[in-house]
Amino acid sequence: MEATGERHKVKWFNGGMVQRMEDRLRDILERDSNNLLRLLKSEDEELELKFGLDTGAYDLHRMIDEDAGMKMRVEEIIKRFYIDAVPGISNREAQREKEVTGQKNTEKLEEDVDDVYDAEEHRGKSDAIRQETCEEEVIPPENFSHVVGEIYRSSFPRPENFSFLQQRIKLKSIMVLIPEEYPQENLEFMARAGIKLFQFGMSGNKEPFVNIPSDLLTSALEVAINPENHPVLIHCNRGKHRTGCLVGCIRRLQNWSLTMIFDEYRRFAFPKARALDQQFIEMYDEDKIKRIAQEKQWLPIQW
Amino acid sequence: MVYIPPLNFAPVVSTEVSLYRSGYPMPLNYAFIADQLHLRTIIYVGDKELSEDYNEFLTQHNIQYHFVHMNSCRDKNVQEQMDKVLRLIVDRANYPILIHSNKGKHRVGVVVGIIRKLLQGWSTTGIYQEYDIFSGGLKGQVDLEFITMFDTELIVRRDHLPDFVKWER
Repeated sequence: MEATGERHKVKWFNGGMVQRMEDRLRDILERDSNNLLRLLKSEDEELELKFGLDTGAYDLHRMIDEDAGMKMRVEEIIKRFYIDAVPGISNREAQREKEVTGQKNTEKLEEDVDDVYDAEEHRGKSDAIRQETCEEEVIPPENFSHVVGEIYRSSFPRPENFSFLQQRIKLKSIMVLIPEEYPQENLEFMARAGIKLFQFGMSGNKEPFVNIPSDLLTSALEVAINPENHPVLIHCNRGKHRTGCLVGCIRRLQNWSLTMIFDEYRRFAFPKARALDQQFIEMYDEDKIKRIAQEKQWLPIQW
Repeated sequence: MVYIPPLNFAPVVSTEVSLYRSGYPMPLNYAFIADQLHLRTIIYVGDKELSEDYNEFLTQHNIQYHFVHMNSCRDKNVQEQMDKVLRLIVDRANYPILIHSNKGKHRVGVVVGIIRKLLQGWSTTGIYQEYDIFSGGLKGQVDLEFITMFDTELIVRRDHLPDFVKWER
């Protein structure tokens, strides 16, 4: 035990050194890139002079070409260099970013990336997850959990999750809370597996002007707690905010204390809990849905 | 009547059988547990002695209580203790079961992770994410390593296996 402890220390120290050197290089790059380039170039020339001009053995370019990793990094830098060199492109982008961060309090509303369904992003994650999973394993969607009885929650399900949803959870319905069109491959999967889709397109609560319409949530609840639709999976994009609001309202129907409702909300929204969502859960008027649910004898919701 | 579930409460499995997880149930939470969960068994993985009011509550509601002493997955006898938990889990006669630790984060997180892996065949990614949700992403490395490495052999009665357990035919 003693020995491994030592080794860790040394490793960390070396890591620290490398880190510091990189930092210094970065520093120099920023402050004095011209000189650095000139030095590199003259070193290249000097080496060539020393070891014979035309051998090309010490050609920087060749060395870079031979090292795949280095080549990739250099190309990355060159690409960035050209983008930076074209006046306007990067500036405009930087400007836009500034505007986005600075506009929280203005009338223009920024889109939180969490709220927007981005097919590309999901495809990328799918590939990464598939690579590290072996055949006989099942893959639950991100942020997946049981809510109560046969009501489940998660982020946007992707193809690698389909067998889990079909064979393990044996879903009967999916409720999606995004306004965007549902992806074709998900629709095909659902048709194959005989799963019904309920779409209640809403935008997440956003300070200060965008709010989930309360009636829409009531109609969503009416579908979600109806035992005829179970097992049901409720999801939005990340399974944090909109789904969190809906689940919070289900907890209200179960008479949970607000503290514990919020505790659960924050657990799944971490690290991006929104005050407005919690306010929404607290202010949600459950009279109507309670009346409907009592008439149809859905209450109390069975565990 | 306002119900207050215990800290970090959540269903783990709800199929023909129900398995729940949580932190240590306090008198505040008794009404919720009694009225809603109708438990047959409670498994406590932890280090605290049974308190008087908890004992009373368990007797009153006729709940089987199993204390599996565990400080963390670094305990010397952790394999033996984990097997004890799993033996209770693989017997459908014990359900509905609530399994709890003190905060419902780490020790329960490990038990649930192992159930997901060995009994349900979840992917490591899914298991880690679930662990993170309940632990708030803290101090997980050793626990996650333990979940990944843990393996065991138990002799079980097939006709007593709950329906969510997958086994090789």
